[in-house]
Amino acid sequence: MVGNTSSLVIDDLCHGPCEEDIAVAIFYCDFRDQQEQTSTNIIGAILKQLAARGEMLEHVRSAFQKAKMEVGGRGLRLPDMAQMLKRVVATLPQVFISIDALDECLPKHLLELLGSLRDILQESPRMRIFATGRPQVEADITRYFAAVVIVPISPNTRDIKRYLENKLEMDPEPEAMSDTLRADILRIIPERISKMCVGAATVPTPL
Amino acid sequence: MDYAAYPHSINAGNTDRTNLANTHSIIINTKKAVADENEEIMRWLSPLDPRGRHHDVRTDRLDGVGNWLLETNEFQEWRSGEAGADGAVLFCYGDPGAGKTYLR
Repeated sequence: MVGNTSSLVIDDLCHGPCEEDIAVAIFYCDFRDQQEQTSTNIIGAILKQLAARGEMLEHVRSAFQKAKMEVGGRGLRLPDMAQMLKRVVATLPQVFISIDALDECLPKHLLELLGSLRDILQESPRMRIFATGRPQVEADITRYFAAVVIVPISPNTRDIKRYLENKLEMDPEPEAMSDTLRADILRIIPERISKMCVGAATVPTPL
Repeated sequence: MDYAAYPHSINAGNTDRTNLANTHSIIINTKKAVADENEEIMRWLSPLDPRGRHHDVRTDRLDGVGNWLLETNEFQEWRSGEAGADGAVLFCYGDPGAGKTYLR
């Protein structure tokens, strides 16, 4: 559900009014990838998408060539990476960064990532961040971004109905379905689920 | 170089033609070298490539589901930048499968 939300937002950003010149970078955290998804690699993955947008930016190229000359082709450290991202963002008119499922990132890397993004954001007035995650990462986010705008996501009745209709259309045994049963499914399940979600959505939201 | 004389020298003999072909292949090789280096830079920046994942999620997504978010004031203000620097971060929380898991 939440992963779908960020994909929806990205499509909305990418297909907005044509006069907007925007750059969008995305990232999906995944607990199965925790070893590789370090804060440095995540910032790098974002940088990569923005740097590839036009001509490879000269300062990225020269940093690469310099690193290659050094013994063993030294890898990048988080501050270097964040600095490069900051410079790339500064060359773009408007930047949106979407990061999905922050809770799937290892805590150490999550905090480093949020810290880097905060530093970059402070010097990048045209950058915006969209993030999703389970409720438990909210405290970490507000720690780094005091003014963050928070929206709880839970499927509304219309979403659930739409989902059910789709499942019913795909029913491999349609002969076992009757109009009455179909109507009951479409009425009762959304009702029950919205009751469950009201219970879950009463978590207090700051401001 | 005497530019007026140049067209004439192209037709002068095979040597010039060979030179021209060499210049052409140097340009192609340079382009290829830049493209190769760009790829190398991309791998150096990060081994991760999130674009493929976006494609998968997008393919699974059901049209119309979750559209309400795009209509909220919070989203609209964040997107348009009306909220200024303070409103630069939008966080949506929810349990993955808040809908799907219950419905499976």
